[in-house]
Amino acid sequence: MDIDQVKSQFPIFRQKTPTGKDLIYLDNAATSQKPQSVIDAITNYYSKEYSTVGRGAYWPANVNTVKINQVRSKVKNFLNAQSEKEIVFTAGATDGINKIARSFLAPKLKSGDVIMISQVEHHANLIPWQELCKAYGTELLVIPVLESGHLDYEWIQKNLSDRVKLLAVSACSNVLGIKNDIKRITAMAELSRTPVLVDAAQVLSHNRVDVQEWNCDFLVFSAHKMFGPTGVGVVYGKQDLLNEMKPFNYGGGIVKEVTFMATNYQDIPHKHEAGTPNIAGVLGLGAAIEFVEQLSQNETENYLEELTNYALSSLKTINGLKIMGGEQDKTPVISFTIDGIHPHDISTFLNEEGICVRAGHHCAQPLLQRFEIPASVRVSFAIYNTKSDIDKLVMALLKTQAFFS
Amino acid sequence: MNERLKSLYQTVILQKSREDKYVGKLNDFSLEFRAYNPMCGDQFDLQILIEDNSFKCLKYSGSGCSISRASAAVLCEHLQGVELDTVRQKVELFLELVDADSDKQPEELTDDENLLAFAAAREFPERKTCADLSWKELLNQLDTLNQS
Repeated sequence: MDIDQVKSQFPIFRQKTPTGKDLIYLDNAATSQKPQSVIDAITNYYSKEYSTVGRGAYWPANVNTVKINQVRSKVKNFLNAQSEKEIVFTAGATDGINKIARSFLAPKLKSGDVIMISQVEHHANLIPWQELCKAYGTELLVIPVLESGHLDYEWIQKNLSDRVKLLAVSACSNVLGIKNDIKRITAMAELSRTPVLVDAAQVLSHNRVDVQEWNCDFLVFSAHKMFGPTGVGVVYGKQDLLNEMKPFNYGGGIVKEVTFMATNYQDIPHKHEAGTPNIAGVLGLGAAIEFVEQLSQNETENYLEELTNYALSSLKTINGLKIMGGEQDKTPVISFTIDGIHPHDISTFLNEEGICVRAGHHCAQPLLQRFEIPASVRVSFAIYNTKSDIDKLVMALLKTQAFFS
Repeated sequence: MNERLKSLYQTVILQKSREDKYVGKLNDFSLEFRAYNPMCGDQFDLQILIEDNSFKCLKYSGSGCSISRASAAVLCEHLQGVELDTVRQKVELFLELVDADSDKQPEELTDDENLLAFAAAREFPERKTCADLSWKELLNQLDTLNQS
């Protein structure tokens, strides 16, 4: 794979940072940079073809309506869903989880029911469920994570029952980078007839997802972590579940017939997309999927695996550097601490070298509590990162360490 | 190491962040509060003994970066023995010192080198919350004290 050619599609890397350095962007688990094609899709819409969708029988509204439908179809193929009806556009993964919590789960809950999540969840896949538990007297059960970063699958087996009304789990930890075995989880959950929601926000920039193979009931993701724009994402849901649910929001665009007495709603997915959608965002998402699909999936996965292994072995040469979790089932996300230097101080020093890393708790405070760490440094890679980026990271870390010693 | 970093990580800040003179818990205290930055997880518990209308003794415990630790240490040092009437003025001066929007130069505000070291936070807006974490929470506590 020609990484220089791939990287050249991202205009941000053509400039220097305010400290005069090349930008080394290692915070891809938070959000990824945007290729020109995504930026063009958005600017083209606003500058040349701006209109609403689904409501106007004129140019350019009809053009955009077709394009939005095409993106829905792209997402369907991207996730290997059965139908476009299973694809609902949202404002992002967080929005999707909140909507499923409110429209799907809340109306079913009663005291004594259980919601199961895992210890590695991002706050987005924890707090909506915690709030439901508070409101409905439901119990929140948390799947423990082992020192290796893997979930305790035997614990899941023991604790799943028909009391568990939903199991919500991420496809991989945004801190440890360890993938969860979703197929194994859905197989177990099927026995207790527990629906499974997968937070796939972290995986789609580097791994392909097949919702039919995973057999999950819901899956959410955000475009911005896979080279697309912010403020747009997707809920995938099995058709019977999306049909059964009340609309995520109420308003225009989702109705068949409205009187002051009653309203009939459109079929899925439109029933769940009230209001004028984030059209530019959806078009940008379409371009992001095209970008990901133009890269060979095998080559992308192999390249990022090689890069991650190189980073792991390079980082381990630094005295006092401790990596959180193990190395099996690792995605391109590495969290670590260095003895005697706070992650924020490390981040400030790296920033001066043009290196962007994340320092803190990464929106996963309970996970850091589990590992008894107040904060860590996280580096996460995307297809435009290189071994040279990692060499510069290690050099900068050694300089930082020398300063603080 | 570049000049910008040198200005932020001055010797005084590194020394104060490692000094344990004010680290710990008081057996007897009049005021106890937590300064917490939810964005990064830095967290300090501060305890203050008020006697004879002044801050008699101050201690802090917890974890954070070198800037936030040094800042908590300097808060304890700077306010020890200070009369209640003048505490607010000193806290507000520190907050102005680290505020890039202030129209005063740091040197116009103080000649105390331990305090001036934190003025570099004006150049690092992302680190201002580290520099003023404990001080801002103390100001909140003073407001609560006044109301009660």
